[in-house]
Amino acid sequence: MLDTVRRARLLWLLAVAVLVLAGCGGGGDDEGGEDAEPAAEEGTDAADDGGGDDAAADEGGEPVELSIIWFEWPPAQLLEDFANQEYSKVNPNVTIRVDAVPNPQWHDAIFTQFAARQTDFDIAILDSQWIGEAVEGGHVLDMTEFAAEAINPDDYPPNLLSAYGQYPRSPDGLYDPDGKLYGLPVLADSYVLIYRKDLIGDPPETWDEMIEKARTCQEENEGMYGLAFHGAGGSDEAAVMLNTVIWVHGGEIWDPETYQVEGVINSPENVAAVEKLENEMLPLTPPGFAGTAFIPEVNAAMAQSQTCMGLNWVAGLEGIQTPEQSGALGSTEEEILEKLGFARVPVQETDIVSLGGMGMSVSAYTEHEQEVLDFIAWFQQPDVQKAWAEFGGVPARTDALNSDEFLNARPWNAAFVESVDKLKDFWNMPEYYRLLDIHNSQANALMSGTQGAKETLDNIAREQQAIMDEIREGGL
Amino acid sequence: MSAAEGAPAPVRSAASAPPQAFTLPPAARRWGRVPDRWIARLSAAPAVLFLLALFLFPLLWAVVLSFSTYSATRNQPLEWVWFANYVDVLTSPQVWERAVITLVFVVGAVGLQTVVGFSIAFLLARRRRGRGALTILLLLPMMLSPVVIGAFWKLMLDAQFGVVNQIVRAFGGESILWLTQPRLALLSLIVVDSWQWTPFIMVIALAGLTAVPRYLFEAAEIDRASEWFKFRHITLPLVWPLLLIAVLFRAIDAFRLFDLVYVLTGGGPGSSTETLSYHLYKVAFQNSDTAVASAYGILMVIVVTLATQVYVRYLTKVQAR
Repeated sequence: MLDTVRRARLLWLLAVAVLVLAGCGGGGDDEGGEDAEPAAEEGTDAADDGGGDDAAADEGGEPVELSIIWFEWPPAQLLEDFANQEYSKVNPNVTIRVDAVPNPQWHDAIFTQFAARQTDFDIAILDSQWIGEAVEGGHVLDMTEFAAEAINPDDYPPNLLSAYGQYPRSPDGLYDPDGKLYGLPVLADSYVLIYRKDLIGDPPETWDEMIEKARTCQEENEGMYGLAFHGAGGSDEAAVMLNTVIWVHGGEIWDPETYQVEGVINSPENVAAVEKLENEMLPLTPPGFAGTAFIPEVNAAMAQSQTCMGLNWVAGLEGIQTPEQSGALGSTEEEILEKLGFARVPVQETDIVSLGGMGMSVSAYTEHEQEVLDFIAWFQQPDVQKAWAEFGGVPARTDALNSDEFLNARPWNAAFVESVDKLKDFWNMPEYYRLLDIHNSQANALMSGTQGAKETLDNIAREQQAIMDEIREGGL
Repeated sequence: MSAAEGAPAPVRSAASAPPQAFTLPPAARRWGRVPDRWIARLSAAPAVLFLLALFLFPLLWAVVLSFSTYSATRNQPLEWVWFANYVDVLTSPQVWERAVITLVFVVGAVGLQTVVGFSIAFLLARRRRGRGALTILLLLPMMLSPVVIGAFWKLMLDAQFGVVNQIVRAFGGESILWLTQPRLALLSLIVVDSWQWTPFIMVIALAGLTAVPRYLFEAAEIDRASEWFKFRHITLPLVWPLLLIAVLFRAIDAFRLFDLVYVLTGGGPGSSTETLSYHLYKVAFQNSDTAVASAYGILMVIVVTLATQVYVRYLTKVQAR
């Protein structure tokens, strides 16, 4: 009896072992599946060879999905729709997926995967200031040689090409032909002024005029406020607005040659400019607004007739011209655009405007390097950039920016083009986030009415100088 | 009657029955040669290995990293700096500022939760009809995700269109900047956290209150003791140890508050609601200073462990009384 039981157990164990081995056999099939990937790459190469173009159709190849990581805002869905609609005509085997994460998690979502040396995305859309951090970690591919064949640098505004791909960046912020490229533009962007044509009349030309018009509009229209602008904590919302105020008034936030912050950002001129923000601009915003405002809040303030003017990113304006968003201003797009106008950011001592936008960088851990490069090369082509502009995107090629397709695509595009040459970015170095944390927290405290202009700038100067000193000691 | 006469009958009958060979059960036969001590060790091994792999190893790894210049995202050579990261953290004014914010939050939130939670439990304990239904209803906030709670309270506390300010305005008041004024933002965090976690204190206090023997109150009533006397000398001393355990859990949880800050205030305005955990997250994941963050985390663990030790000793003394 006992032997019978033992035999039954033995048989049962054998059956389990066979099943386990069968499972391993399935793994073997999976490996076969993995083996199929190089075949897919070969297929793409063959397509390239056969087609002669950067990326040619190869209906017989294995399907490949390229994943792009970005943050959740209108251009993310726009890019996915555009790429799948247009690139499929050129390379039907490739589909594009844009993974859009909430803005505050954008950096973490990318760099935690970089830290693991394994990414589930093939293309990282990096904010222009993060390139240094990604390059120093060896997480993105050097695209210098690829770019030499895929693009002509003269086709791009030199500040945009530099901002969206070069590291280290030249001190003047312009494209350095001897420098290295780690990304190519996907979307250009800048601040523009949104204003109520019916309440303001012509857009203000100077910063002081903007404040004056905002004050008058607020006084004349009960229940409305004069201005809306970014000032939230979390990422770089308040920091960019602070920079804009400083740069427009002729100041600087640091000296990139000497890494000096103390005495630069808190210069008497900068203090006077930021006091203007504190004492003249903040009282013109709705109560509690500036300290929590970013793209959607400024759009909502304008769309709901809460403010007379607002400063916002061009690429974040998508939808504000539609009755779905701005139904309070009119029932048709024409009616809404009779009230809403768009102009370049007013000038004061200088005509500098804060640079936004970003480039596409290739993850060093992608398994689809060739397909990714094919896609990026295709995206940079002149006709594709014009089509991207027509689709609602903001291109970075000069010809596409000046094309009728772009200028007529959205009502704010002309205002953006006016300021392209004047766009300016801030630090692009691995210590960016340490510096930004100080910059944005202090600026947010100012925007929230928690502390004054001088205290804000002195705090930034003191805390950032300590970091800059570390950098200087480390290798300057 | 002698002791032998008084012995139980079954023993006598067993002694008179023919002896039978004792057979071990199959499992005992298989493991018969293995000492009991080893069986115990083998039984505990999976759990111990699991604990070592998922808790002890990361902790020790963090300790090792805390003595270096390691960064998870930077490709830089590793240098050993020993206690320099600990010195940096302990001498950082930013860290001390966050420590004060965290302390205010812990004292404020746990204090409020204890007072309100115990009061609700006291009222519930005196009620018999509908107590179960009311308890379940009051426990609902505790079952929600802190992220969800943060998201809807953020909308409710919005200065412009939030329902809280709509109510304030309906009663003739001015809009209150709940999330953009430093003190109010910290108060809002305390209130929202209390909204979620007061039921935790309440349910533990309720368990203690319902376990107090009724005869003690009956004896006090015979002696014509006042309600306050019964509360002060019967209810509170018996519930107090249980309440202290609940406070300990809540204090540890509040000390490492992250999710609610992340969603509700983002640490702002400025850094006025930035707790130690939120600051640690920024150092680790945004600044990519993994080594400094490891030292920071280890110091937080040490602080919590020491505070817990002191607290547990006090708790033991209270229970011994």
